[in-house]
Amino acid sequence: MHIAGMGVVFNRGRGLDVLEKALEDGWVMPDSGYRVLPTTLTDKVALKEARRADNLSKMASLAAYDAFIDSGISNSVKDNLGIILATAFGPHVTTFRFLDDILNFGDAGVSPTLFSHSVHNAAVSYIALNLGSRGPTLTMTEFAASFHQALILAESWLTEKRCEYILVGCADQTGEVMQYIVSQKLKVAADGKIKPFNLASDPECVPGEGSAFFLVTNNKQYHKYAKISGLDVVSKEDPELLILDSDGMTGDERRYLKQAGKARLVSSYAPIFGSFLTLSGFSCLVAALSIKRQKLFAPPVCVNPHNLNLCKGTESEKVNRINCLRYDCNNRELLIRLEVN
Amino acid sequence: MPVANIAISGLGLISACGKNIAETLCAFTDEKRNAGKVSLFKTELDYPVFEVKDFSSLSCGLMRTLGLTFYAVRAAIKDADLENDLNDFRIGVCLGTTVSSQLNDTDFYSEYRRKGSASMNSVDRFLKSNLAQAVAEEFKVRTNFCTTIVNACSSGTDAIGVGLSWLRNGYCDIVIAGGGDELNRVPFDGFGSLGVVSKSVCAPFDRNRSGLNLGEGAGIIILEKEEINRKRNKKPDLFLNGYGLASDAYHLTAPRPDGSGLEKALFFALGEAGLSPKDIAFVNAHGTATHDNDLVEGKVLSRVFGKEIKFLSTKGFTGHTLGAAGGLEAVFTALNLRQGWIPKSPGFLSLDEDIGIAPVAEKTLIKGKFAVSTSLAFGGNNSALVISRN
Amino acid sequence: MAVNKEEELKLIRSKLKELLVSHLSLEDIKPQEIKDDEILFGEGLGLDSLDAVEIVVLLQRNFGLEVKDMNQGRKIFYSVDTLANYIYDNQKK
Repeated sequence: MHIAGMGVVFNRGRGLDVLEKALEDGWVMPDSGYRVLPTTLTDKVALKEARRADNLSKMASLAAYDAFIDSGISNSVKDNLGIILATAFGPHVTTFRFLDDILNFGDAGVSPTLFSHSVHNAAVSYIALNLGSRGPTLTMTEFAASFHQALILAESWLTEKRCEYILVGCADQTGEVMQYIVSQKLKVAADGKIKPFNLASDPECVPGEGSAFFLVTNNKQYHKYAKISGLDVVSKEDPELLILDSDGMTGDERRYLKQAGKARLVSSYAPIFGSFLTLSGFSCLVAALSIKRQKLFAPPVCVNPHNLNLCKGTESEKVNRINCLRYDCNNRELLIRLEVN
Repeated sequence: MPVANIAISGLGLISACGKNIAETLCAFTDEKRNAGKVSLFKTELDYPVFEVKDFSSLSCGLMRTLGLTFYAVRAAIKDADLENDLNDFRIGVCLGTTVSSQLNDTDFYSEYRRKGSASMNSVDRFLKSNLAQAVAEEFKVRTNFCTTIVNACSSGTDAIGVGLSWLRNGYCDIVIAGGGDELNRVPFDGFGSLGVVSKSVCAPFDRNRSGLNLGEGAGIIILEKEEINRKRNKKPDLFLNGYGLASDAYHLTAPRPDGSGLEKALFFALGEAGLSPKDIAFVNAHGTATHDNDLVEGKVLSRVFGKEIKFLSTKGFTGHTLGAAGGLEAVFTALNLRQGWIPKSPGFLSLDEDIGIAPVAEKTLIKGKFAVSTSLAFGGNNSALVISRN
Repeated sequence: MAVNKEEELKLIRSKLKELLVSHLSLEDIKPQEIKDDEILFGEGLGLDSLDAVEIVVLLQRNFGLEVKDMNQGRKIFYSVDTLANYIYDNQKK
């Protein structure tokens, strides 16, 4: 399936220009732990129906909207436009606010607005509302494999002609309670720096939040970026670049060494976005941009104790194929392959 | 265009109206409605609910939703005669839920609020509670195709639809599909605050309906490529023929008044099945007994299938089981086709003139081979399945 | 007495307008810009069914008032004025 448009909301802001600048600028100490700033989440046009939406719904709505606009596809296709969202934890910040209501006001005193936003599919509902899109919509969750599964379903829907275009993406948020949980369950980097090439048995993370969306289609007219040519769990061909999702969220990262050790070039962009179970979505953004621009972006943090063959600086390269690799907590190898159109 | 034949080779369920198929069919025949006050947690609210009685959570401390779902999956796998053979095939697991996907443990959060710290027990339980992953692990299914659908009230139906996609696209030979949800304080309070919960036992499509009752349970179907089923020397009698879904893009909590989203989903499902509305013997409606849902859905059923369509809402027997609803209702639809009858639509007494059609008012024989199950979700998703028998 | 009632109603309307803007996330409007006879649903402030049930919670938490029947609610929630009068009448009881 072809990527016709992309959209992103992350700590440094919104949009592909902001993303490219972040990739050029490299490592920057993240503001308040990779939070998305409130000023990023305002847009009277893109969020015209999202008055009450919580941050997760707003992030997803903006990223999806931008992907749609970026594709240049006509508004008339909206009845033929599906939406699939992958999320690892859903709107937990709103869920905890709803629990606050239960604890403060009792079972009979809770806010219906908070409840309505505590369901995982609220974000997709807003995307459909904001775009006026009446096609199939679905939200799925499978922790670190969520985005991978969402791409598989998108490919299936296109093959079945359930719709001709799909906005497929990921969204996750951080928050006070989640950060506490992460601090108890995982190792948080004291210096705020994810070091994705340490590939240690007990890696460090820094939780992030954001949303990444792709407008995908089999319609060859919309060849803007790259095609997603493989969702295999075993890589078949040798890519020019292997992007690692080693962000400290899914346990022992020594698993990455085998593939990373034999790759032509290796990179990771986790330090740009933060640690997410759905980081794969963001890695695919960078991969697609690299293929379109025919250039590789330097990894922002190059601590490299295993002497992996890292991209050296931002240079023009013939870039035909990039693999994005993530291992989940069950040791499943999740590979997404992007290729030039 | 008709799709490749996908057999329904196993059924499993648990709900307030029965812990197995025989009990469920008895409850249908006897019009037994096991509603009562909440006993699973302390609450000041006295809305009736449909709890599964005499069912304890798993002793290993996993969420009740998992216990209910494992129970139904076990029954479905046994029904499909796959207990010893699961990993001889490429299996997928696709399940819908709402509760088990949420980090919503009030004890954990209450402790955190008080102390700024809390025990990680509930978090650990939550991390083991991705429903599809948990089922794959419990039943030792080795697969990369397992995912949990969180589409609110249509999750179970949509999980079955995703399973159908996996089979049609050749990723799996067999899919364990459906949904499970426990009765939980968060949706109990939440739906109450929306003003859509009834203080009496629900009456879907009735003129005097006053809202939904929540319930809990799990409904599982085993989807299997017909060729695989026959290789196992089985003679499948039930099939999944079509699936459609479409968004209202109207409102976060209210359905689109003209029902055009549901209509679109229905026609897509019928189209996949190669059928027209007149081929449908009955509809298992979403029928939550809220004013808006039943009004919109009833009018769509009338418009699409004609005023003579036989339909019912089994939520009068189970309550609204959220993520489990689509799974349970697919099982009920399949069972009713196989048995050749549908029960009286529980709770219905008098026609709502605004809807214009009434569900079946008594146990009704069914001669046709095709039926539809519909789901309308919070957030505006509409889904439909077409199920058939030989 | 009438003057006191009018003063109280003025305070209630002012508090209501603040609450409506903050609790319902109303954008592009300040509390003081909401007219006293502003219609809440449809053409006026453009509130919807979800806002209606949120207002029920608002009344409970801030004025200790219950709205048991949403049909009754339709009349009470017609405008800022009708809501303020409902609060004034029922708080006195």
